[in-house]
Parts: sequence; C-alpha cells; structure tokens
Amino acid sequence: MSDLKEIKTDLMVIGSGMAGMAAAMFAAGHGIDTVQVGISGEINFASGLLDVLGVHPVAKGTRWADPWEAIERLVHDEPLHPYAKLGIDRIQSAMDLCLDFLKQAGLSYQTSGRRNSKIVTPAGTVKTTYGVPRSMFAGIQALDNRTPTLLVGLSGLKGFSTRLIMETMGPSWPALERITVDLPNSTGELYAEHVARSMDLAANRRVLADLIKPGIGECRAVGLPAVLGIYRTNAALDDLETALGIPVFEIPTMVPAVTGLRLREAFEHRLAQLGVRAHYQQKVLETEALPDGRFQFLVGHQVPEARVLAKRAILATGRFFGKGLHADRLGIRESLFNLPVDQPDERSRWHHRDLLYPGGHPINRAGVMVDAQFRPINSNGDVIHSNLFAVGSILAHQDWIRQKCGSGLSIATAYGAVRTVAS
Amino acid sequence: MLMTYTPYVALLFCVAGIFWRVWRWCSTMIGPEAIDSSPWHRLGVMVRAVGAAVFSRKLWAICRTLIVDVLAQWPIARQSKVRWLMHVGLFYGVLLLVLLHALDDLILADWMTDYASTLNPYMALRNVLGFLMAVALVAAWAGRRRNPVRKRFTSASDRWLLAVLAVILISGIILEASQIISAPVFDEMVADYWGSEEAQEIQPLKAFWSRRFAVVFEAPVDGSAESLAAGEELHIAYCADCHSAPRSAFMAYPLARAARPVAPLLNRMRVDLALWYLHFIAACLALALLPFGKFFHLVSVPVSLMVRAGGDAIDTLPENRSTRRAMGVDACTHCGLCSQHCSVAPIMTAIENSSILPSEKMGMVHRMARQKLSPADLRRLSQGSEICTNCGRCTDVCPSGIDLHDLWLASEADLHASGYRPPHGWIRTRSMAQWADQIKEDHAAGAEVEERLPGPKFTENPDTFWACVQCTTCTTVCPVVAASDNPKADLDMTPQQVMNLMRLELKEAAMGCRMVWDCVTCYKCQEHCPQGVPVADVLYELRNEACRRLNPDTDQGTHTRAKRGSGNPQENGTERFHDD
Repeated sequence: MSDLKEIKTDLMVIGSGMAGMAAAMFAAGHGIDTVQVGISGEINFASGLLDVLGVHPVAKGTRWADPWEAIERLVHDEPLHPYAKLGIDRIQSAMDLCLDFLKQAGLSYQTSGRRNSKIVTPAGTVKTTYGVPRSMFAGIQALDNRTPTLLVGLSGLKGFSTRLIMETMGPSWPALERITVDLPNSTGELYAEHVARSMDLAANRRVLADLIKPGIGECRAVGLPAVLGIYRTNAALDDLETALGIPVFEIPTMVPAVTGLRLREAFEHRLAQLGVRAHYQQKVLETEALPDGRFQFLVGHQVPEARVLAKRAILATGRFFGKGLHADRLGIRESLFNLPVDQPDERSRWHHRDLLYPGGHPINRAGVMVDAQFRPINSNGDVIHSNLFAVGSILAHQDWIRQKCGSGLSIATAYGAVRTVAS
Repeated sequence: MLMTYTPYVALLFCVAGIFWRVWRWCSTMIGPEAIDSSPWHRLGVMVRAVGAAVFSRKLWAICRTLIVDVLAQWPIARQSKVRWLMHVGLFYGVLLLVLLHALDDLILADWMTDYASTLNPYMALRNVLGFLMAVALVAAWAGRRRNPVRKRFTSASDRWLLAVLAVILISGIILEASQIISAPVFDEMVADYWGSEEAQEIQPLKAFWSRRFAVVFEAPVDGSAESLAAGEELHIAYCADCHSAPRSAFMAYPLARAARPVAPLLNRMRVDLALWYLHFIAACLALALLPFGKFFHLVSVPVSLMVRAGGDAIDTLPENRSTRRAMGVDACTHCGLCSQHCSVAPIMTAIENSSILPSEKMGMVHRMARQKLSPADLRRLSQGSEICTNCGRCTDVCPSGIDLHDLWLASEADLHASGYRPPHGWIRTRSMAQWADQIKEDHAAGAEVEERLPGPKFTENPDTFWACVQCTTCTTVCPVVAASDNPKADLDMTPQQVMNLMRLELKEAAMGCRMVWDCVTCYKCQEHCPQGVPVADVLYELRNEACRRLNPDTDQGTHTRAKRGSGNPQENGTERFHDD
C-alpha cells in the first residue's frame, strides 16, 4: 500500500454524474481544494435538458408551468423531499450558478424566464423542463406557435424517427414537414456521436445545410436530431441558421446521446481549469474512516492506483445504475460506506403490484437519509460521519424520474452540501 | 602438391560459390511485384543499373558508403561502440593478416627487398594483429553469450564463422611457438644457409640460439660466455638478416618458453609440420567457405550497402525489386540487433514462435522464397509476420543497411497470396453463421482436449454480461466502428451487439463476428462502459478461443495438436482455409 501515490485534499467528491459535477463546481467556486473521482456513468445518459420540477403529484401527473410554485406545493405535501431542506432561493441560486458555469464552459443554456418550457421529445411527446440548451431553444417557440417546421431525419440514425414525431404530434401541430438526408461517406448505421464530431467541422456543416435546403419550402423553422457538434455547438447552430435563413433547433435523441457527452465534456474541461483534481474513469475501491477523522480512499480503475486522504467527502454516487446503491435479496445497501438506507421493510414491498402504477414504486423512493446539512443519518436521526455528505439521486424520499426534478435535485443538493463544507 | 593446389582449389570454390550466390539473388522471387524472368535477364538489368549509377553523380554516394559504412563501419558504431570495436578488430585483424601474412609472398616480398616473416616489424605486427583478432573473437563470443536473445538464437552459421577463425588463429600462434623451439627447423635452416660441413663449428651458434631464440636441442649445448660470444658473431654473419629476436612475437614466445619441458618430444614428432598443415588447410577452408553461411557477409554487406547507395534508380526497376530483397536477405549477418530492438519481441514470452523476431524471420523468408518451408513452417511464419506491427525499428538499426520493412511487406504479401492470411483476413472468407457452425463442429470434435486447456475467464461467466444495458456506449466510442462507413457490412456486429450475443449464449456466433477480429484492443469500450462490462477483454478472449478451436497450431493450440497426436489435415483447422 505504501507505494501508492498519496493525495491529500480538503474535499473528496465521489461521483462524476450531475450531482458530483455540480458539487465539484460549487466547491471550486468556494476555492475549496477538491479531488473528484468517478467513472463516466449516468451523465452520458443525460438529455441535456435541466429539469427543476415538472410533475407533482406524480400519481396525478400534474404538470407545472411554474417550477417554484410546484416546489412549494411539493414541500408542503412531501416534507421529507430533499428540496424541503433548501428553500426556493437557494435552489434558484444553485440553478443560476450552474447555467452560468456551463455558459462559461461553452455550453449555453436558456430558460423561459423563471418558468418551465415545453419541448418535443424524439418520441413526439411533449416534456416539461427548465433549462434548455441554446441549440434546442428555437424548438420551444416553434412548438408554442405551431410554426410550420421541417423535421430532418438522417438515414441510418437509429432511435430518431421524423415520421414517429409527425404521427404523434400531427393532431396538435399539423404544419410539420419531413425530409430524410443521406450523409456522405456513410452507407450503414449512423452513430450520433460520430455525426456530431464531424459537425464540429465547418465544411461538414455546409454539406448538411446543402442537403436540407431543398426540403425547406414554406417551412419557417428546421428541427433535426441533436448532432450539431460536441464542442462547437453554438458555431454549428449559427452556421446552419445563416445558411438556411430560418431558425434551427435540435431535438434530443435517444440516450446515450451527444447531449450528455456535451455536458460531461463541458464540466470536465472547465473543472480542470478551476483546479479540481479529477480522476475520471477511476472509482473508489476501498473506504476507511481514519482515527484522526479523515477518510482514506483507495482509488483506481480496477486496482488501487492512488490513496486519497480527505478531510471531508461528498457522496454523489447515484442510484443503482450509478452504483451508489446496490440491491440484492437481502435488501438495498449503500455501496461505499454501508450507510443506512431508507427502504421498504420487505423485498416484496419494493414494487407496487401494478408495474405501470403512475404513483411509482416504493423502491424508487428508497435511498440515503440526510439531515438539513445533507449529512447521512440513521433512522433515529443520528449523524453517521460529521464530515460526510450525500447529494443527488442517492437521497431518499424523492422520485426524480417521475417528478422530473433530476438535474435540479442534483445541483441544488450539491449546492446545499458545499455551503456547509465551505462554512 | 597439396600445398600448391589447395589454395587454387579453394579459390575456385570461392569464386564459383560467389557466382552461385549472385545467381540466387537473380533467381529468388520475393514480393508480389516479382517478375518471373530469367536470372540472366535480371542479372543484366542489375548490372546495367549499377553501371549507370557508377557513371553518374551517384558515384560520390557510393564512394562515401564505401568509406563511411564499409571501411569505417559507421552503421555499427551508431548502434554500439563496443560492438564496433569488436567488429573493427576482427575485420581489420583478419584483413591485414591476409594481406601482410597469408599473401606475403605476393605483396610484401615484392615491395620490401629485405622482407622476411621472421624479421621485425613483420613478426611483431603479426602478433599484434593476432592479438587484436583474439580479443575481438572473445568479445564476439561473449557478446553472443551475454544477451539472452542472441544467445538463444545463435545459429550453426554464427558458430562456424567464429570456430574457423579461432582454429586459424590458435593454430597460427601455436605454429609459431612450435617453430621457435624446433631443432629440426634450425637444422633445416643450417642446411640451407650454412656454408661449412663441420658439425663442430655450428655448436656456438646452437648455444646462442638456444639461449636467445629459445630453440630446444636434444643434446646439451655449451652455454659458456665464450661460446655465446662466438655464437653471436656467427648469428650476425649468417642469420641476423632474416631473424629478429623471437621475444617480439609476444603471443608465441611465452608459449614457446612454456613448452620447453616437452619440446624434445614435440620436435621429434614434428608438431610444427602438423600445425603448419592445419593452419594452412584451415585458411584455405575459410577461403572456400567464403560464399557460404555467415562468411558471405564479407561480400554481401558491402555490395548491398553500395548498391543501395546507388539510389532509387536501381531499386525502382521492377526486375530489381526481388533481386535487391534477395541481396538484403544475404546481407544479414544474423547479428541480432533488429531482434534486440523489435517492438513485438516481448510477445515471444507468451507465444513460442521465433518467426516473431526479425533476425529469425529473415531466414524463414529466404527459405519461403526458395520454396523450402513446410505448411507448418509457413503457418508459423504467417503468425510471426502478422504479429509484426511494421514499426520500422529493425530497418532503422540494421548495420547492414537492409530494408527489412520492405522485406516484411513483400513477404507478408507473398504469404497472403499463397493463402496464409491473418485471422482477420480469413475470417472474411465465410459468413458469421458459417463460422458459428464451423466452430461448434470443431468444438465438439476437440471437446475432450479443450477441458485440459486453461479455461475462459470472462466468456463462460454470466456475471460478465448481466449488467449490460445495451446502451451502445461501447459502440459509440469504438474507433473501429468509427472508421467504417458501413459497420454492419464491415463488422457484422458492433461491440454492444456482440455483448448481446454473449447474453443470449450465442458464443460461437460472436466468435464468427468480424468485429471480434477487427478489434484493436484499445480498451476504450471497456473504459467507458457505465456498467463495468469488460468488453475488450471479452472480445480478446473470444478471438483467442476461436483461434484455439480452429487452428491447433497457434500458441496453446500446439498443445492441442500434440494431444490429438497426428498431423491429419482433417483435424488441422487452418489447412482448409488456405485451400479457399
């Protein structure tokens, strides 16, 4: 063990999903010496849309145009929800800081003021969300105004069907047209990431514009799958709009999509600039609380490659897919510290009898319980480690997928935890 | 008789042998662009091209090569100063001994009016050169012993060269020592150069020579001061013109002194004559062997280097491509530098196939060109060739200036043309489904053997795949998929689809996928998998297992074949594919 590289730090952020990235971002903003570790996981599966709160109560599927009003109602109905520990002001500050950070990282976002927006999904359904990438924002106005719009499909790209969108949207948005273009040098299946990388080059954007032009006709906007570059999306969008002369917008594609990749690249790039010492594609393999109160983490890809000694740690390891939680026949466990997990007392009660029950399953609300400072606690309310914090989707008493609050939950709880660390 | 004709016979051998080697340069075909024309024609083209180069500005380059590369042996110095010292010692030791000692009657005797081999500085110089050669020979031998790669692949040819030179050298030194102590030789000289018939008068000279020249006489000699003084006078009068004191023969003299106790016996046996024959015959043998084995590099390396200096005009003629390659093969001294620098040499630790090493592959390529390789040898050569990454390091370091990189490309093309394709080549001869059937069939036949082999680590364990959610991350990051315009046609399946085949327990189908064989093992898929599926390890293992099942001759496969106990082509997987 002694030959391992030793890294000392004030704060260890475990996880590189939305919550881990946000925690590292806020910590760097406070000038806290930070080490971040995490394998690329759930952030690759991001749609690029930053939800705050879209639906409440989930059993009724009520959608909210004003997320803050929705949060007030949610906190009233579910006082244990993590949002209840924060307050509207802090959640708004957290979101503002994050959108500003992403803008500085080259990934611009827009919102409809302080309100939610409605956006078309690749399935042709409408999703309620808050922060929208600039490259998708024209789609919100197009949908609101039912603008005559040309939907562009790419032959060979799976999971994106202009025909499906038109079939589903048709009754409410009849002014849709569609065209499918063949990109050069490609005869088989297309992968969104490969196309997006090629669109980072201006020459390829000109080719795409030339292919779209003949189909425009009477249309006043163009919607196409999210493939407009990974690093130069703003330039790609501007080029296309200039070439076509009308607004252009991206429609999210099936995940893992370039929208997630853009977020990851933006965070990774900017966090490094701010001095966060990151160990991406590595994970915490062993955890130990030292007698002096610090944590020791053995970090590596498959075998330990470094030993991190941290005064504090923020756990942002996600749920089952992110490997923060582990479920087996004996129950649900927290993977790294074996923290107490709030869960149904019997495995048979994890799920509702009806698989598609709109209110969701109890297991979806299982997770790590925390106090007002986001320190994990047991069922008696005792703090486990005074210098350990848990943020993001690993937290109990929330159902981020159904509530459409994933990004907001991650960003706001990270903000809350880092505030405690900083003070 | 023997002494008169042996050198001429040896010379005849030498000249005929050199012609034979040159003829082979012009009749060997290496590379796809080799033209099947007569050796005479190719020889003519080569000679004309070289002639044209000599009478052009290229002459300067050729002269420069002669001085820098051949005479100063700079290419060796560039790689290793120690090796350069060794080689220069051996080269100039032998060369000067040939000119100043072996051919002294033709050269020195003509130029120097008072030349005698027993006079200084000639006698001392001969010993200096002998010493140089001895040190270099020991260094050459030690160099081969010390480096594990070179030690392991030291060939008979390497040993022969050193052995013949050592015999000449050692016999020469002992010969000189035996002549120093020899009373019969003294008597012969007295008979030739001494005027008087009186036996008594010769006694002081004998005493002097016994004391100063270490000759050992059977009868005791009068060692008094008067006798020695008289002897010295006689020596100056009759002998000193041709004889320096033997002390300057600093190699042979101590040996002669040491041999004094047994000298009478040696003199009676005329050991000096026996050694003389040995030394002479060994030298003639070296001359006769010059065109053979490693001896030939004395001719082939300078010729190859200088022809290369002649420039592209020579190389680009299609007739000359093959000739140049054959020349290159012959210019190999089997020094092993290329193998010491080979980037894939470490694979030897896992796969026992010497054809991986350039120095060993060289010989195989030559034998392939002469159609002397068995199918099993060709398979090994093919395996070694496919492991080569064409990094070019061997060409960079070769002191003989051989374009090995070109040679490997040519020989690989030849192997492909005769049906010895690499796995990712022959996998394309059938569809995925056909391969799946084939592998299943072979597996059934070899099931008993398979069990004794180290079992698959990942592919047989369902835990490897259970977490896969088919998210396509592996496919999206894969550079092989990205390089293809049409992945489905080029690769059959993408990495995440191969993982799905594994989840469906369609392992044989997965083995038949081109994706598996085109994988470059960059591990991006594995590093990016959000679920921790060891995608690259699985692809790698699939490939290895398919190879083992299909081709009993690859690594662990040799084991299989031995167990099966026959070379029956029915059991020999790749044989079939070569016939395709």
